[in-house]
Amino acid sequence: MSSSVIDLKRVYRSFKSGRDIVPVLQDINISVNRLEFLCLVGESGCGKTTTGKIICGLLPPSAGIVEFEGADIASLRGEDYRRFRRSVQIIHQDPYASLNPTQTVSEMLSYPLVRHKLAPRGRGVLQRVHELLELVDLTPVGDFVNKYPHQLSGGQRQRVSIARALTTEPSVIVADEAVSMVDVSIRIGILQMMMDLRDRLDVTIVFITHDLALAKYFAWDGRIGVMYLGRLVEIGRTQEIIRDPQHPYTRVLLSAIPEPDPEKTRSKQHIQLRSEDIPRLTELPPGCSFHPRCPWYMAEVCDQEVPELSVSFQSGSDVEVACIPLQRGTELVLHDA
Amino acid sequence: MDSRPTPTSLIAILWIPWSVLRAAVRFISRLRSNIPGMIGFIGLVAYFIGTFIMPRFIEFDSEPNLDEIVGPIGSRIQLAVHRENAHLVTFEDLAGKTVGVVDQTGGPDLIAPYAHILTIEKYRWTSRRAGPGLEASLIDLANREIDALLIFSKTVTELITNQEDPELRALFNENIVISNRALGPPHLLGTDTQGRDIATHVVHGGRVLILTALIGGVISTSVALFLGSIAALTGGVLDSALTALTNLILAIPRFPLLVVMAGVIRFNNTLYLGVLIGLLGWPALMRAIRSQVLSLRERDFVEAARSLGLSTNHIMFREILPNMISYVMINFIFSITFAMYEQIGLVVLGLAPINDYTWGVMLYFGRSRGTLYNPDGASMALSPVLAIAFFQVCLVLFARALEEIFDPRLRAAV
Amino acid sequence: MASQSLNAPLETPGFDRIIDALGRALKSYTVRVFVQAILTIWAVATLTFLLVREMPGNPIDVLIEQILTQEGISYQEAYDRVAASFNFDPDASLLDLYFDWLGDLLRFDLGTSITSPGTEVIDEIARFLPWTVFAVGMGLLISFVLGIVLGMTMAYYRDSFLDHSLSFLSSFMTGVPNYIWGLLIIIVLGIQFNLFNVGELRGTYDIRLVPGLNAEFLLSVCKHAALPIATYVIATLGGWMLNMKSSTMGVLNEDYVNVAEARGLKDKRIITSYVGRNASLPLFTQLTIAVGFVLGSGVVIEEIFVYWGIGHYLFQAITVRDYTSMQGVFLILTMAVVFSNLFADLTYGMLDPRVRISGER
Repeated sequence: MSSSVIDLKRVYRSFKSGRDIVPVLQDINISVNRLEFLCLVGESGCGKTTTGKIICGLLPPSAGIVEFEGADIASLRGEDYRRFRRSVQIIHQDPYASLNPTQTVSEMLSYPLVRHKLAPRGRGVLQRVHELLELVDLTPVGDFVNKYPHQLSGGQRQRVSIARALTTEPSVIVADEAVSMVDVSIRIGILQMMMDLRDRLDVTIVFITHDLALAKYFAWDGRIGVMYLGRLVEIGRTQEIIRDPQHPYTRVLLSAIPEPDPEKTRSKQHIQLRSEDIPRLTELPPGCSFHPRCPWYMAEVCDQEVPELSVSFQSGSDVEVACIPLQRGTELVLHDA
Repeated sequence: MDSRPTPTSLIAILWIPWSVLRAAVRFISRLRSNIPGMIGFIGLVAYFIGTFIMPRFIEFDSEPNLDEIVGPIGSRIQLAVHRENAHLVTFEDLAGKTVGVVDQTGGPDLIAPYAHILTIEKYRWTSRRAGPGLEASLIDLANREIDALLIFSKTVTELITNQEDPELRALFNENIVISNRALGPPHLLGTDTQGRDIATHVVHGGRVLILTALIGGVISTSVALFLGSIAALTGGVLDSALTALTNLILAIPRFPLLVVMAGVIRFNNTLYLGVLIGLLGWPALMRAIRSQVLSLRERDFVEAARSLGLSTNHIMFREILPNMISYVMINFIFSITFAMYEQIGLVVLGLAPINDYTWGVMLYFGRSRGTLYNPDGASMALSPVLAIAFFQVCLVLFARALEEIFDPRLRAAV
Repeated sequence: MASQSLNAPLETPGFDRIIDALGRALKSYTVRVFVQAILTIWAVATLTFLLVREMPGNPIDVLIEQILTQEGISYQEAYDRVAASFNFDPDASLLDLYFDWLGDLLRFDLGTSITSPGTEVIDEIARFLPWTVFAVGMGLLISFVLGIVLGMTMAYYRDSFLDHSLSFLSSFMTGVPNYIWGLLIIIVLGIQFNLFNVGELRGTYDIRLVPGLNAEFLLSVCKHAALPIATYVIATLGGWMLNMKSSTMGVLNEDYVNVAEARGLKDKRIITSYVGRNASLPLFTQLTIAVGFVLGSGVVIEEIFVYWGIGHYLFQAITVRDYTSMQGVFLILTMAVVFSNLFADLTYGMLDPRVRISGER
């Protein structure tokens, strides 16, 4: 277990909504390996943000265990808990909501430094704040330290947010759609910076996004986990998944990515879903929850049993898939739309 | 670098007033572009000076003179003389003369410095309009039994020119002239039914009211803040119980409840009234604060603070509270206007203590003694009415300006 | 949802079915707010019951003390007399008294007046309340309509001189307490400019007239109510204006208004049926809430204009310490507030389709 930092074991999570209980996450098993780049991909409402919060320990699972370096985080106390708390940080999606509008940049960054005694008081804290701002390319630092969030642009705010996550010298950073609300023109800059930081500061990054293209670019030498309606349906090395997607849902997602070459995009086979409607979480279909939409749906198989993640029968890779026909080695037959 | 939290003794102590000062300067510089808000702000400063500082220099005129005297705005002593003595204008001119004094507004005080050079004849006054005392003094003056007469009411002209008795009218008109209408210092706002200076009453009449309203506002706002945060942060049974209690109190019509309670308890101290008003006034704000905390608690920056391992205290006081403080301040101001409304309403009904001579008590006496319905009493009736009205308007203008300044939608654009 | 559960087939009136139907009924929004309203009234009634009987220096003890010192009769006799006027059995326990009193309350029996024995409080309330309802109702109606028109005008001409001056004016109207407006009307218009005779306008109508449906009487009623109504209008208008302005501005930003404009609909039609309707929707709820506040503050207004409504009656009861009347009027006022809030909750669903569909708020 030495290679993984965080393990989610049979994690379930449900929320109460009025009188209904909504199962947001079901049976999630993920290991976040040290220094890897893990991308969680899925449509909105698939539970990827919830998974991120559970990894950070900001949301307790309804059932199941979250382990940090092999220890159940629910049992961590005192200094152990504080070490975990410092080690895993989150970067939120909305840079307008994730910074307290009443604090200056320097206040925001110095509170955790003082709290965890990560820099000598007084000058030391100040110096560290400057270093952090340089680290996220907010230079000249003097222009930013005493600014309030409303005086910064979206991209600058997101950099502050990253700097704040770095204050506690974390080993894992969960980036929840960290660039989706930033202007497209500066996205790459921020992504590039995060990749640099991973190499320079030895952090593991869990990148959550709805954009498979972004995942492909960002986690090329990492792994991708595809989520659908609260379950992990496929997980494996990015390059393998992109080259040869196994799970029907992943195939559909990949077929929807436009290629840089318009000719290629047009000639690309576009797989038609059987239904555009995403089932509600409160009224999940029996069996595989993707079966009502699955173009390769097999009656009597897919609507009977809930598939679990395991290595696919046919491919020689270690990509894990939650699809019963694939696991049984049955030939998939495409339905006509 | 003032904003850095380095709680080393002296710096920590100075940091709080410094940040308050910084906020105030920022706030006033923003207020400059908001004209109604500026008017409200200046008005409130003026009210503060007028009711808390000026009373130190202006003495309350508590010396009742003759009954039933209502002096008009700017009323001063008038000097009535016999037509032949029209050259008598000042006190000095009157040296050695016999002067009739109708014992009224500040009369004795005013004459005191000259008492040694005058022979004073005093007249009693019985009724304002057809006072036999005043009439008798006029007859004496017309008959040259006295050389001059000091009068303190505008009605004397009426008495002379509109005299119903034709004989007396002829006598007065032929013999008497007003040689000086402005003897002695003016009464800025005239005099009341007891001949006392109204301006001094206005200056002194705000302090207790404003203090009581402040007590009510502070109590209701802090109870609302406390209970609202507790309910939102703890949740569960306590939250449900507090919410139910709040809804119950909200359903009770507040002013009638106060009227009934004041009718039963009969307060003898205005400040207790402020406490009661405060204890009944929190529910609406508590509900608002509860939902604010509930929403702020779920914000990403609070989650980030939790993730960074910052303490619960830090999250409450540094992350959540600063985001509500402008809202709380605005509602504090509105709660002052409510407390003001309620206590003055009670005073006007005669259900609150009247031992301090406040604007409310002036109104109460105005109603119970009928001066509100007296055409000459405009000054006495309008002074407290306008004092209250403008104070409330200043508060509302100021609070609305704050609302605009702190509106997050507008602030994001700054 | 309510009609669903009420119309549920009841072939087998088994216990489970009843419980189930009750449970479903309780989940329905209509029934829930109704139950809440009843519970609130019950709680307030209980509170008043306890205040009158158990509070230190409570009216019953005070009255007994008063009769004892004034007439020198035995304690039991004094107690019996107080019990008679408060309409309770002097020998019963507190709990029995409470249930008796609740029973009386359900039959709208609020006891008899202490100071004028033999007068039923409920009859007095029935005599005074309609005048207040008339004055407050008219005042709120006029100010609501005016406020909607002016508020929409402000929103359409926002940031113009008109908008700024109306908004400044509205601060004046809402800031100045309503009784101060009343006094200003009396002092400035009545006394200084002598536009009307304040003394003649006391009461609810000219007492020389016989009440009836004739022009003279109705005119007198309107004349006497005019000043309180004017006061209510001035004091509440500013609030409606500002609320309507912000509500209209919110609606004007909605896409469907732009679409309506793009479709080439006439401006007048857009203003009335698209903007006006949707913008005034949230104000209806506030209207019913305002009823409670204005009814309550009517005590001072009616006292100032000597308008013989429920507030005047309450004040008279307080000055002579007529506790049963006080208690009765207070309960009626509370019920008025609770029911107007209930009305707001229920009608809002009918007015706003978004609430109607989900059935919950």
